[in-house]
Order: sequence, then C-alpha cells, then structure tokens
Amino acid sequence: MTRPSLENSAVWLAPGFSSPQGSLNETDHGSANRSVDTAGTEKTTQDPCGIFQTRPYLCLDIGSASVNHAGEELCGDHVEVISDSEQSAVVVLADGMGSGVKACILSTLTSKILSTMMHAGLPIETCVETIAATLPVCSMRGIAYSTFTLISVKDSEFAEIYQYDNPPVTLLRGGTRCELTTEEITIGDKRIMKSRARLMENDVLLAMSDGCPHAGIGVTYNFGWKMENIIEFMEPVSAAGYTAKTISTLLVDAVNSLYGGKPGDDATVCSMRVRRRAPMNVLFGPAANRCDDDQMMPLFFSKEGKHIICGGATASIAAAYLGKRLTPSLDFIDPEIPPIATLDGADLVTEGVITMNRVLTYAKDHISSNELHSRWDVKRDGASMICRMLFEEATDINFYVGKAINPAHQNPELPINFSIKMQLVAELSECLRKMGKRVKVSYF
Amino acid sequence: MLKLSVCIGSSCHIKGSRHVVEDLQYLISAHNLQELVELSGTFCMGKCQQGVCVTVDDALSTVSPDTVNAFFEKEVLAKVV
Repeated sequence: MTRPSLENSAVWLAPGFSSPQGSLNETDHGSANRSVDTAGTEKTTQDPCGIFQTRPYLCLDIGSASVNHAGEELCGDHVEVISDSEQSAVVVLADGMGSGVKACILSTLTSKILSTMMHAGLPIETCVETIAATLPVCSMRGIAYSTFTLISVKDSEFAEIYQYDNPPVTLLRGGTRCELTTEEITIGDKRIMKSRARLMENDVLLAMSDGCPHAGIGVTYNFGWKMENIIEFMEPVSAAGYTAKTISTLLVDAVNSLYGGKPGDDATVCSMRVRRRAPMNVLFGPAANRCDDDQMMPLFFSKEGKHIICGGATASIAAAYLGKRLTPSLDFIDPEIPPIATLDGADLVTEGVITMNRVLTYAKDHISSNELHSRWDVKRDGASMICRMLFEEATDINFYVGKAINPAHQNPELPINFSIKMQLVAELSECLRKMGKRVKVSYF
Repeated sequence: MLKLSVCIGSSCHIKGSRHVVEDLQYLISAHNLQELVELSGTFCMGKCQQGVCVTVDDALSTVSPDTVNAFFEKEVLAKVV
C-alpha cells in the first residue's frame, strides 16, 4: 500500500470527468483508502493530491419548484430539507397518493418523518417501518401510500439515495448523465432502490415526482415526457451554472407548458448542486457613532469575497477610507431605483433604502412563487444587480449595518426612516436564510 | 466649463431627482451646451430638506421637477451664453 493508486485517484481529480464505466458506485473507487474518525473528518492513507479530504470550500445548493394539479390549491408533493451544515443535508421529496388535501397530508407526513429520522441517524429500515405504521389509511382506497425519494449527502461528497416508486434520481456531471449503481433492498413489503455516489464540484442531483414524466399525456405526447427526454433537456441546463432553484424552476415550467398550463398531476422537481462557496459582504449605512466608521471600514474591506456598498453617505465614507473617487452614474435603468455608482475597490455601489426595499420585494418573491425572476435576472439597475449577487452568486453573506440615523430621513413626508431600514435588514436576512445562505449581521 | 451636479440620494430621488436629471440632459442637448456644461450625479450632500439639491460650480440650489426650466435659464443659460 505504498504506491499511490493514481489511476483510481484520477477519476476524482478532474471535475466533469465521468468514469469509463459511467458508474459511480462508491465501492468501485478506493473506499478501502478511507477511514473516518469520530469527528467525522476524513483521513486518507493513500491520498497524494489531498483529493479525498473533506472540501470545506464546497457546499450544497438545494432548491425545489412545484406546480399543483389543475384546480387544486394544495400541492400533493412535498419537499423537506434538513441540514445542520452547508455541506450535509437530508432531502426528502414525497408524492402523496391522489391530489389536494389528502395527498398533501400524506406527503408532508412522509417527508417530515423520513427527514427527521434519517437526520437523527436512524437506519432506513426503522424510518420506513415508522411511516408504514403512521400514515393514515385512505377510506376510499383502503391503503396508505406515499412515494418518496431520499437523498442524504455528507461533506458535499458522500451521497446516499433511497427511492421508493418515484422517477429515478439523475446525476448530471459536466452536462452529461452519470449512471448510478443501484441495489434493491426490501423493507416489509416495500422494495426500495438504494444508490450511493461520490459527488464532485458542479454535480447536479435531480429528483422529481411522477408528474414530470407524465407531463403532456394525452395533450402533447401520447405517453408523457419520457425520462430520457427530460434528461436530454436538463443536461445543458445543469452545466450552465444556474442555481438549484433556477434549475428546478426551468424544468417545472417546461412540464407545466407540456400540460398546457393545466397539470393533470402535481409536479415537483428538487435539485441539489455541489458548488463552491462564495462569500459576499454588504455594507449598509454609516456607523451610529462616527468614530466607529474607522473600525467598520477596515473590517468590511478586509473580508474575503465581493463587496457591495449600499447608501450614498456610506459610499462617500468608504471612498474617503479607500482614497478613491466615487463616481455616481446618471443612468436610470429602472425609473424607481436610483442610479448606481462606481468606486475602485468595491464591486457594486448603490443607493440605500429604496434599492434595498426593492431587493426585499424580489427576495420575498424568490422564496415563494418566483414570478418576478425575469425582472431581476438580467437588468443592470442597482436592485437587480444586488439580487443576482446575493441570491445566485453568494453562499455566505456578511452584513455590516451602520445604525446612524440620517436626519434627512426623519421627515414624516418621506416613506423612508430609520426603523424601516432596520426592518429591511432583518427581513432580508431572514429571506436569505430561507434560500439556504449563511448570513451574518453585524451592527455598528 | 460649468459643473452641474444633481443629488441622486434617497431623499432627493423621492423628491424627483430623476425628472430633474432627465430634463437637464434634454435642455443641455437642446441648447447644444455639451461642450460647456458638465452634468454629473452625486450622492447625498446632507441638505435633504432643500432637495432636489443641485450644485452649480459648488453653489447649492433647490430645484424641483416644476422649476427645472426656470432654474436652467437663470443658473445655466445666463452663465454660459
């Protein structure tokens, strides 16, 4: 065991490289080389390039989207995500029998129970038996039934997938499908497909409910949208660098249009992407005490990642600190959003409260219906640019909020004041946390 | 060269600085003064109560979307022509 097995390692070296067999069974590749210590950190005995170590620069990006059965207010599919760190997560997508309230109860129960128990480290057998014993029996059909897909990922790398009657989970790597090696296990009377995979940066795992491959039955296609065609559609999408939320939304939108806008079943997509961490720093308002600006500025600018400055006075203080010229532009791209400015040393400079207020509007929409997505996905106004940087690019967001009260904003005629500003930060960070970002807010 | 700066801070924005900017841009090109007048934006000058704040070579004026024409004739045209 002295000679490093480079042939084996090479499989994991290059992102986007799929193994010759197209297979990802973990046992195929050097699992004997690993040993896991009690702290959960991974040590390798044969690891010349350090590639088997945990990769703290990676994290998971998880996002889902659904359309409801035409005429139903509730979705019969449910996605539950539990993660205690950005590198590890348990995701369950459950599809309850039927549609509407009954399906919603079945899928919610199933996904909540499964995710909670798996996250607590219980074996899959116990989890499945618990569900079988818990689900209410349908009075019409005499059975209790909900399908599920469970994906558990540790350290952004080790994925364990359990599937029961849902369309198969697809792993997309470098824009092509990777075959997952699957074994069948039987728990009670249920046949469950179990797969394992080691994930790499930019891998996309795609889980969906059967509403997706059934799309267009009798409307567009005779037999629905075949899985292989769905995968063909998703391959280029997965390689384009979209966020998990966007990937899911794109597929659900396509499904919805195949149904002619009237889905014959609930359709849900949940995607999970392994991505590189990207820190983002936002400076918002001058410090309450002028002297503290001298502390705030070096703290802000010394942080790794991009720097966004919101607020005119704040930008002027930053410009003075950097000794650079602040140049406001006069382009009103969005009539309601004041123009941005350029400052050498900051990645984006915008006006404060009005811009942030718009960002919050987009953020609230992004975590619910995502209808306003097209209003900020390409535009160059300050609010849209902040949205793209915070919602899509960033994984870790540090807010540096100055609590200075702008005397000019205390005019009762103006729709902006100090309490609104504090409220904005609180609500926005809440939204960003719901998007799965790690948010830190410091007040000065 | 006459230097004209319009505040585009939050407070002045709400009071209509976008209209003031657009009107001034129009008036400057209508009178062919691009070579003589430089129009720029600036963030808050701390005089929000007097907004929309416009400085002409550092002298502060209060302009609103309704008074921008009069302001232009008095403060700009009179000085450059």
